[in-house]
Amino acid sequence: MPRVVGNTEPEVQERSPPDKQVRHKWLSEGGMEALSSFDPEMYLHKNAEEKIRNHAISMGDEVMGLLLGGVYQHRGEPYVIIRDVATTDLDATRVSVRFSREGYERLFDSLESSWFDYVIVGWYHSHPGHTCFLSEVDVATQAAMFDQDHHCALVIDPVNQEIDAFHLRDGVVMRRPFVVYWETFEDPYRGVTVRHRRLSSDPDGVTL
Amino acid sequence: MLVIAMSLRVRVRNAETGASGEMELEPENTVEEIIESAAGYWQKDAGAYVLRRGKSLLRGQETIVEAGVGNGDGLELIPDPEGG
Repeated sequence: MPRVVGNTEPEVQERSPPDKQVRHKWLSEGGMEALSSFDPEMYLHKNAEEKIRNHAISMGDEVMGLLLGGVYQHRGEPYVIIRDVATTDLDATRVSVRFSREGYERLFDSLESSWFDYVIVGWYHSHPGHTCFLSEVDVATQAAMFDQDHHCALVIDPVNQEIDAFHLRDGVVMRRPFVVYWETFEDPYRGVTVRHRRLSSDPDGVTL
Repeated sequence: MLVIAMSLRVRVRNAETGASGEMELEPENTVEEIIESAAGYWQKDAGAYVLRRGKSLLRGQETIVEAGVGNGDGLELIPDPEGG
């Protein structure tokens, strides 16, 4: 039997959380309560959020994917950033979902071409029309694969337009307060003013 | 053809934590054994994971020779979740 003979654990980097952030417009009531009581523990990039939402909206059945990101800390408080997601073909119904056996290579293609050194910080899946919670199957998945403090289960209901995030603490399902974030350079309105530029080749001096 | 059976080393990465470990393998070891060993080391349920090398899924019953695993290869343990 093979055995692991050496182990390297990644260092948790000290880094300020993203400051450009907003509460998700579909956040459930419970999620809003959690966010009003606690600082965000998870930051979901707007592009990843859009991929998850579009994926959920595009299918009548459940959808699922992996959350790719990293674990950081700020002044001793750990938090998670989700930068991207990866998914593939699914075997799904309205009440169940898993990756198709034939879909792995496409999933691995996404992982292989990831633009950053990812950690799979959790998973997302949809509950179309059933609201956001963790079912027995979801809890079993969370316990078997995503039992670390930084792991998260993001659930989205595209019918009721609801989203929420959960994690397990000592086997108990807890909400994970989260926000959607973007980088400063991605803010289309970051400039204070917009100046019209006069073209030197424009004989009439018309500004564009 | 002369085939020399020799052990080789691979690096297995736990994608859920970013941790990675060196693993010493014999040619007759199977992919399933690698998953079991890695999952056991990281205290995971082996049945909940698959193993990839690059874009390829490594099949459980294949030996590492059949799977084409070579010395110094990087493998990654990937969770296989089920939602309901």
